[in-house]
Amino acid sequence: METELSVSPGFDELMIGANGAEVRRASEWLDTICRQRDVPKAPVERLVLCLNEVLANVIAHGGGTALSSPIRLLLEIRLDPDGSKAGVTVSDAGTAFNPLSVAKKILPKTLAEASPGGLGLVMIHRCADWLDYHHEDGHNHLTFGTRWKLP
Amino acid sequence: MSISYKDVGENLRRIVISGRLDIPGTEGVAAQLVELTAAPKKGVVVDLSTVKFLASIGIRALITSAKAVQKRGGKMVLVVNDSSTVMMSLEATGVDQLIPVFKNDSDAERAAVA
Repeated sequence: METELSVSPGFDELMIGANGAEVRRASEWLDTICRQRDVPKAPVERLVLCLNEVLANVIAHGGGTALSSPIRLLLEIRLDPDGSKAGVTVSDAGTAFNPLSVAKKILPKTLAEASPGGLGLVMIHRCADWLDYHHEDGHNHLTFGTRWKLP
Repeated sequence: MSISYKDVGENLRRIVISGRLDIPGTEGVAAQLVELTAAPKKGVVVDLSTVKFLASIGIRALITSAKAVQKRGGKMVLVVNDSSTVMMSLEATGVDQLIPVFKNDSDAERAAVA
């Protein structure tokens, strides 16, 4: 499978397969590029968490087409003294699913009430500063991002 | 990814997990975690202080085990490095309010058998 391909200045692209090992590879790719571009540790960690959860949802719920098709990751980093940001767009060919349309899970107050599932979306909503979704050309396109101020 | 355990007396089991609790990491230890927490010990300490990353699939495994321990009348607690991304994952999902979290072993062990 192709690995890295720069698409235009400020953007980086990675194509991955839909499995756990590829999710780890994508995490390492995202972490490496962000650190090379001087993105601070905290926003990088939040981006990597979001990426893991978005890809886990594609693998678990995207269906056969998602599992057999490449997933495209597009990273954009903009460094600006007035406010920097980094965003990742995940494009997959799985079942159309807009995570922004899902009602936010009410967190349990006790362990007895807790159900083990459904925490991926909670994590995405908590860790991303913004989310955007559209479905186009048979693909889900979900963007998540973080913002930070340069010191 | 690795998981190991040590029984501390009759009432306490200490489980140490290291590495990344992402999809492949969790798949590698989840069955063992269930097995190790099923032992008839009153308290279970799961030490995550050297875990570098915790995704929701890992949290799911922790909740499943903590619920099983609670169901048989025991208590499971976590040891987590305060400044790690693991703490961020637990806080983001509210799981730090469901499973007690400690910074050091001795506090965790006391709480698990209290």
